[in-house]
Amino acid sequence: MSYYKFEEDDLFINTIEAYPEYRFYTQSGSIYINSTPHLSGANTDHITGVPKGFISLYEYNIDRPSGNDIYPFIEKDGHRVSLKTRAKTSYNTSLLFGETDNGSYNLSASISRYYVNSSDRPRVLALKNVLNEYAIHSPHYQYSSSFGDKNSQIINLISIPSIMYGSRIKKGSVSLKYYVSGSLVGELQDKNYNGELVQVGPEGSTGSGSVAGVCLYREGFMVLTGSWDLDSNSIETDTTGPSKWIHFNYGANDGSTIGTTTLSASFAMEYKGTTHTQVLTMFAHAPYGELNHSNNPTYYDSTDTQGISSGSLQYIEQPKKIKNIVHSQFLDEEPTFTKTTYISKIALYDDEKNLIGIAKVATPVRKTEEKQYTFKLKLDI
Amino acid sequence: MAESFYKSLDIGKDVVATRTLLHEAIPLTGTIVSGTYGTDNIKNYAHGMFQSVYDYPYLSSSANHIFDITAGVSADSAIYSSVSNQQSKKLNIYNQMAQVLVGYDHTGSIQRFDEDGDVLAGGSKLDDVIFLNFARLLTKDEIKKGTFALTLGATQAYATPFTDRILIQDTSGSDGYLVNSPVGEYGILYATNAAGTRLNGNDQKCGLIFYQAGVCALTSSIFQSQLSSSAYMNSSNEDMEAVLTGSNIEAASDALRHRIYNLQFNNTVELNSSVYFCRVNHNEFNYSTNPTYLSGSKIRVKTQSSDLPVSYITTVGLYNDNNELLATAKLSEPLKKSSDTEFTIRVRLDY
Repeated sequence: MSYYKFEEDDLFINTIEAYPEYRFYTQSGSIYINSTPHLSGANTDHITGVPKGFISLYEYNIDRPSGNDIYPFIEKDGHRVSLKTRAKTSYNTSLLFGETDNGSYNLSASISRYYVNSSDRPRVLALKNVLNEYAIHSPHYQYSSSFGDKNSQIINLISIPSIMYGSRIKKGSVSLKYYVSGSLVGELQDKNYNGELVQVGPEGSTGSGSVAGVCLYREGFMVLTGSWDLDSNSIETDTTGPSKWIHFNYGANDGSTIGTTTLSASFAMEYKGTTHTQVLTMFAHAPYGELNHSNNPTYYDSTDTQGISSGSLQYIEQPKKIKNIVHSQFLDEEPTFTKTTYISKIALYDDEKNLIGIAKVATPVRKTEEKQYTFKLKLDI
Repeated sequence: MAESFYKSLDIGKDVVATRTLLHEAIPLTGTIVSGTYGTDNIKNYAHGMFQSVYDYPYLSSSANHIFDITAGVSADSAIYSSVSNQQSKKLNIYNQMAQVLVGYDHTGSIQRFDEDGDVLAGGSKLDDVIFLNFARLLTKDEIKKGTFALTLGATQAYATPFTDRILIQDTSGSDGYLVNSPVGEYGILYATNAAGTRLNGNDQKCGLIFYQAGVCALTSSIFQSQLSSSAYMNSSNEDMEAVLTGSNIEAASDALRHRIYNLQFNNTVELNSSVYFCRVNHNEFNYSTNPTYLSGSKIRVKTQSSDLPVSYITTVGLYNDNNELLATAKLSEPLKKSSDTEFTIRVRLDY
């Protein structure tokens, strides 16, 4: 085994930007994420072990019988490290040293909707600075302007956890669709790439071309204020009456009551997220005339008995014969010996020669003295 | 950050590296391994060298791989010459596992699994072995020593295997583990009666558990000579020896799964942390350059000239030698700082 040092040109880092698509379909209080059905298992109502319409963070406990979940635990010791879910006071008073603090892996996430129609609106107020900051992109962001005062308007706030979009929602990818009895009555898109959610369909519909709200791309919020009638049918949502954008996604984890006519409304929300993955690329070289010897026991001819000579002052092992593995078409002829190794792994070491990673090739690569290779190693970081 | 005040950390006094052990409890009931999903969560391969067990039907993207089962027979085994089905594969499996887990002797020969781990002393060897290779997803950095517990059905009848049960544990694991393996530490598995009295005496050595590798090597004799009478391992009432000689590895894996009543262990993850003790002396950080700190050229939090200057610490920034910001630590709530108070803020960085 030989150590080689990476040169400056052998290492580089680049970033892969990906745009994963997400689709949420909401109907009568049920949310379907990326068209995944709600699967009931043999032991649980939903196989992922989290409520329907939620994603499971770890997906560890799939259809586990009751009391058989995999769970993390930590022993309270001098480090005083606890699980995130353990309150500080409880950790200090209820948990003794040496006791275990148990957690759970059934952590979940989903979209939430907040219908804000009162003056008590802490969630909206918390976004005031952010909304005003983005006013340079569109005046519709402005917390208070001629387009409306978000301190008093009825607001439909849809919150998306960052696990469902990454670092930001991709501009121009947002589409909100409002269906009544299966027919599209309104569609919003951020077609101007500036966060304005503009009604683009159906063609000729009421409010077409109007801005019904804004999207906070980095923060993962849709702030909907459009209150015009999209359809004349009376539907039980936040209020009983015609469909409006302020009622969009009714039933999406908002604690709403599902009425008989609510069932005819359904909602689709689509967008693309943005993720960044840093990739470290390493070039490992196997030069001419090097890496042609192995310490693997099978490298030697097993039929060759190793000679030793010993005396009162010495013990000398004679060199062992290397097995000739050069292929020959003839059974009765020993081919000319050539040192041959097969490279099966490349190990990565730190500057103190601690092994920190191993890269394996799919099939061993034959290496002779007159061949040289460059292996390209990629590591997502 | 409002105030750009850099304070150097004393590497010897203010920076400490710590290691915390986080564990997970992994219960794998027999109903997962053999029962609830029939064979939908069992994956067999055309090469026939091992069988994979999932926690849910493996065609589902939600399924997690939990372990593989395979069987190996040493060339020195008493039954080796009788093996008529997949003989070379069973030998190769044994040799492959042995060379990785036990290593070579001074002649370059593969060493066999040793019953008590004392390889140099000789003693009994494990020549007919069933291997359980646990997924890294479950074992993480290592299986926690002293927590491995495998309950097997030991009743002779194949149809009702769990009337009598034996419990296999690494009872000496927490302090009596061995280190003479190329893949790290390992413990000896001992079998005791859990229900009924089928064992020929309690605390019988019946295999090895390799903690970091996440491999359990179980001797086939636990179903045979170590019981008062051999257990029937398939519906043809064959014992384990007959299964290993006359059937393939898949059948041997099925036979073991049929008798797994419960399997559980805890794993360990090492969390490495650096702790930075950021010391705030009484005469430091009492002012802020935050624009909101001043109102009409006066300190907002100071109403009389005799009042002490006050600031609120919200964030600690960690910088490198070139004063480039590397990380910020946020306090859960602002900390009131005045010239009559001192703090040491403990910043922990996990990696």
